[in-house]
Amino acid sequence: MADTMGHSATATRNTRLALGFCLLAIAPQIFELIWSIGTIFGWGAGRGPGTVLTSHVTALLAGAPSAIFGSFGGGTKKMSSEVLLALIYTYPLLVVAILTLFMTVRSAQDYVGGVVLMAVALFALWAGSDLQGMRGFSFGAGTAPRMFSGLLVALSAAIALTGLLTDGPAMAHYSWRGPLFVVAAILFFALAIRPLGVVVTAFISFMIAATGSQETRWREAVIVGACLTLGCAILFPYVLGLPMPMLPRFLIQ
Amino acid sequence: MDIFANLAHGFAVALSPINLLMCLIGALVGTLVGVLPGIGTIATVAMLLPITFGLPPVGALIMLAGIYYGAQYGGSTTSILVNIPGEATSVVTAIDGHQMARQGRAGPALAIAAIGSFFAGCVATVLIAVLGAPLTKLALAFGPAEYFSLMVLGLIFAVVLAKGSVLKAIAMIVFGLLLSMVGSDIETGASRMAFNIPELADGLGFATVAMGVFGFAEIIRNLDAGAEMSRDLVQQKITGLMPTKKDLIDSTPAILRGTVLGSILGILPGGGATIASFGAYTLEKKLARDPSRFGRGAIEGVAGPESANNAAAQTSFIPLLTLGIPPNAVMALMVGAMTIHGIVPGPQVMQKQPDLVWGMIASMWIGNLMLIIINLPLVGIWVRLLRVPYRLMFPSIVIFCAIGIYSVNNAPVDVILAGVFGLVGYWLIKHDFEPAPLLLGMVLGPLMEENLRRALLISRGDWSVFLTRPLSAVLLAVAAGLLVLTVLPSLRSKRDEVFTESEN
Repeated sequence: MADTMGHSATATRNTRLALGFCLLAIAPQIFELIWSIGTIFGWGAGRGPGTVLTSHVTALLAGAPSAIFGSFGGGTKKMSSEVLLALIYTYPLLVVAILTLFMTVRSAQDYVGGVVLMAVALFALWAGSDLQGMRGFSFGAGTAPRMFSGLLVALSAAIALTGLLTDGPAMAHYSWRGPLFVVAAILFFALAIRPLGVVVTAFISFMIAATGSQETRWREAVIVGACLTLGCAILFPYVLGLPMPMLPRFLIQ
Repeated sequence: MDIFANLAHGFAVALSPINLLMCLIGALVGTLVGVLPGIGTIATVAMLLPITFGLPPVGALIMLAGIYYGAQYGGSTTSILVNIPGEATSVVTAIDGHQMARQGRAGPALAIAAIGSFFAGCVATVLIAVLGAPLTKLALAFGPAEYFSLMVLGLIFAVVLAKGSVLKAIAMIVFGLLLSMVGSDIETGASRMAFNIPELADGLGFATVAMGVFGFAEIIRNLDAGAEMSRDLVQQKITGLMPTKKDLIDSTPAILRGTVLGSILGILPGGGATIASFGAYTLEKKLARDPSRFGRGAIEGVAGPESANNAAAQTSFIPLLTLGIPPNAVMALMVGAMTIHGIVPGPQVMQKQPDLVWGMIASMWIGNLMLIIINLPLVGIWVRLLRVPYRLMFPSIVIFCAIGIYSVNNAPVDVILAGVFGLVGYWLIKHDFEPAPLLLGMVLGPLMEENLRRALLISRGDWSVFLTRPLSAVLLAVAAGLLVLTVLPSLRSKRDEVFTESEN
């Protein structure tokens, strides 16, 4: 009884892992799609979401297999970057995801760590695929990146393997509150420093970051935040002479 | 004697009012960073890099160096009094130091830590002065193949000395090498892995990544544990700083051994202050006639590691100043500081910038003297700082880091990248990957690639050049030997033992 329960628990866990890896496998495509939505509103140049979606879907479904079979036929047609992405990055990860379903993961920490690192390495392999390789005996721009990405693929595969073969810790617990608010504070700072200036940005970022802990006492945080903002406003632009906007742009004009 | 003339010149530079002030600021900031847990040396040096824009290069480097060795002093204070190591280098000091404090002997523990650190600092200063010139001559005999092999050796050392899985450490180094290749290729100018993002064309800034992985990630991780760390301050007054005669007799050999071990580990590429203090503690425990005293307030357990970490912090400047190779992440940031001021680290620095090199060396001795004064009589002030709760400290650190990164290039994108690397660092910690080898790989990446390409170009594509040139072959052989030794089971268990020391 206990045995079967344990088995079904690992089974559901593996399904979740495999689903996660599948998502990881198409993450660059999804990212580009979300990014391209901006072009509808006229932010940034690039392809619209429609073209992005169709080109990736055709690359994933039809382009890549035909490229494989085409290469047997001796075709040296240059492959598009979508097809390369599918071939170099997405397919290997999908294979890993499928294999995961049949494995007993003994240390999720190592296994997931290895697979995600492998994804990074494969992605780097794709990102460097347009660069020139060896020219005679001299290195091209792409030689070293390809060498090290290849090495990282091998190493991360070995790490994932240790996760399968040896017992080790399970996945660590992630909390969401700290990372979310600290990153939000950093993002806000980056986006607001130019238009809003140091004074406003530093104070608001301080308050956003302070939200990341349950133990924050608001009155205290407001006082310290105000003092810190004042200190920064004097220290960085005046004492250290770093050029920085002080007040919001609309106030100066 | 050349050395004395050089040192005299160095003191003349270091004793100028502006440099004295820089040294004092560095020592004070270093102590502060060392005392406060949750903010490390790497993040601080990265944060202060932009500040050095407006300073003369000598003053800037004197200040940054002061932060590094100053933190070694400050870290011991909180380890002993509060059992909270402010720095990774003082983790082992807490074991016996805090026990001594509980027995009412906090004063002698602090004094011995300071005396040991000061002695080690003096020895290390002399060592840098003595070894500098001959190593520089050796460096001139180095061709690209030798440089490449030396860096391989350094990276292997980093693997051996990192804690945890060897495989993961190597993977982190390669990941770092890969990150260093983002941006324009040095030789062809081709844009590599930059995705047409103009801010990436120049590559990922080292300070940005360091701040993300060490600054932001650390904060996020600390929030996991709950912002309120238990801080049971030792409330009783510290009475009598003077150690007894027995304390001095007991700790003298420990200080000597710690200094030697720390100096050696500091010079080795990939080494550094943390491993030195761990190593020294293990050594003392092995050599002691009665090992059971350790963990119950043995004064050698304070004297050895504290001397070792300070010696290592200073001798790690040797490879940087003579070979131009940073042996650890803090030194890598020093390279950044030097390049900001148009100084290319390497063998030629000794000849071209005697003011800088000897001034910095002399300032280390002066800085150590200042630190003794800062730390011993003023210890009460530093301890009071610990009452600042983390819930107020962490948002302040976030803001300081953000402003610091922004002001390096006045680029908001850098701040976003640091945030992204903060999340990457958090993920790495959660999966038990060490971030330090990643940074070392990232720093050495461009140097390694350049020398590899050059070596192969000179040999007309013949890879055997690394084995046929004797110096290079020896370096590679040592690296291979080390790697084999590390993987051997008997040594592996010993290596684990060194690192688990702090947990019991």
